[in-house]
Amino acid sequence: MSKARRRKTFLVALAFILPFFILYTVFTIWPVIQGFYVSLHKWGLMGKQDFIGFDNYAKFIGDKNFWGALWHTTFFTLITTPMLVVTAMVLAMLANRATKIKRGLRVIYYLPSILSVSVASFIAKYTFAPYTGLLNGVLHSLGILPQDAELQWMQDPNLVWFTISLMTVWWTIGFPMLLYLSALQDISTDIYEAASIDGATKTQQLFRIVLPLLKPTTWLVFLLQMIGCFKVFGQIYLITGGGPASSTRPLIQYIYENAFEKNNMGYAASMSYVLFGILLVFSLGQQLLQRRGEDK
Amino acid sequence: MKKKTPGYWALNVVSILLAVICLGPLVWALFVSLQHEGKQIKSVLDWFTPPYTLQNYPDIIANSGVPTWLINSLIIAVLVTCLTVIFSAMAAYALAKLKFKGSNAFFLYFLLGILVPGEATIVPLFITVNNLHLIDSYAGMILPSIAGSMNLIIMVTFFRGLPDELLEAAKIDGAGEVRIFFQVALPLSKTIISTVCIFAFVGSWNNYLWPLLCAMSENLFTLPIGIPTLAGTYTVDYVVPLTASMVASLPMIIIYIIFEKQIVAGITSGAVKG
Repeated sequence: MSKARRRKTFLVALAFILPFFILYTVFTIWPVIQGFYVSLHKWGLMGKQDFIGFDNYAKFIGDKNFWGALWHTTFFTLITTPMLVVTAMVLAMLANRATKIKRGLRVIYYLPSILSVSVASFIAKYTFAPYTGLLNGVLHSLGILPQDAELQWMQDPNLVWFTISLMTVWWTIGFPMLLYLSALQDISTDIYEAASIDGATKTQQLFRIVLPLLKPTTWLVFLLQMIGCFKVFGQIYLITGGGPASSTRPLIQYIYENAFEKNNMGYAASMSYVLFGILLVFSLGQQLLQRRGEDK
Repeated sequence: MKKKTPGYWALNVVSILLAVICLGPLVWALFVSLQHEGKQIKSVLDWFTPPYTLQNYPDIIANSGVPTWLINSLIIAVLVTCLTVIFSAMAAYALAKLKFKGSNAFFLYFLLGILVPGEATIVPLFITVNNLHLIDSYAGMILPSIAGSMNLIIMVTFFRGLPDELLEAAKIDGAGEVRIFFQVALPLSKTIISTVCIFAFVGSWNNYLWPLLCAMSENLFTLPIGIPTLAGTYTVDYVVPLTASMVASLPMIIIYIIFEKQIVAGITSGAVKG
């Protein structure tokens, strides 16, 4: 390649990269740096007030609400991730069976996932509402719940986490199910045939062949869902508002409240860095796993 | 196929039952939106029985911000999608096909973004956008959502797999790099573009946290931000909020049912190869 040609290619390449580069730098990378700077300051909605070093980070130790919010997010992740993994696997297996309703099942299982968080939360809120809501109504009609009793799905501290988890599984199950479905379709039918000829029952095939072959997918789904759960905000904010009595307030909501309601952006930025650190560990795990998967 | 065992039918019943649970709340919301306001509900069946009315739909379209929010959601999602596709494709093509010094450094720099969750930088992002005086504007809602690492990586992977011979042939014919990109490379990447379109459009359509912060005035609200404001005003009434939910979702549901195969293929290939 001639020198002039090379120079021209270089300029064209720069011009092609430039728009992406600017937007990416300003809106993805710069906030990471800026966030650290802000976290070292007393910072209000109007801007910088005072340099206070690591005081915002030191404040965590005595802030019960911070630990509470971090625990709520963790607790939600701990109960919801396994539910999502198992449900996604079961739905994918059901939708992968050779039946006439296969396609219909896939469409329906994925359908709730196309709703936006506000619509999904709205529908859930009224579904779980006492007296005239759908779920209590169905339980009344089936005789499971006595006519004069109401389950307070969103107010009872013993039920509220179950409600949020259930709603999250209903709303987000589509994507992990598709991942399992595509993994299941990659398993060659020859393997099942060979196994049947050798006399393996369906149950043996499931535990000895299918589950081991799905292991990489299970790891991927597990990590992706863990990351997703740790970012929980919208559905809790919209269904319970973090209540009753802040008992379901997740970390992002606490960050949001500090930044935009209590005018304490510095503290919010330092908490964001904690969230960032935790998510970074999860995402590194996921990337490692995917690279390892590709090398095989 | 072998003969159908009791197990086969049992699993079918379980599959259908789970489908009913998935679909139940949506179908119920649809029926609620067809009820007259103020109907007495004594049992759950009353939600499903006639008389029906379609009047709630024109009512809500005429008396609430729903049409404005719908248009905002559409404008923002379409612009985000177009800009994402064109900017990511250009950058990805340069990184994958134009041999130049520093392309690896750029690629590594762009890879960092997969480790940055938007939720964790929302506070400094707000400060940045505020400093640019873009809070409460379309530009502020759109620009931060465009340059995503995931979409870029998907496209780089695709362009790397495109045989060089195809592009060389055009080069011999005297076409410049820009023309090759638009007339040869882009038309060959329809599938990958549709994958990125789906990701970008759905991501923008459903984005909640950022518009919640960025849109201050009601005429800039998107559907996800506007819909919940209807709950405060009508706490006991189910009909208005659920009708609004239906107005917001029916277009997406219809698009999804028509393009289900392409959407599912796009999502799966994007996730597995990304």
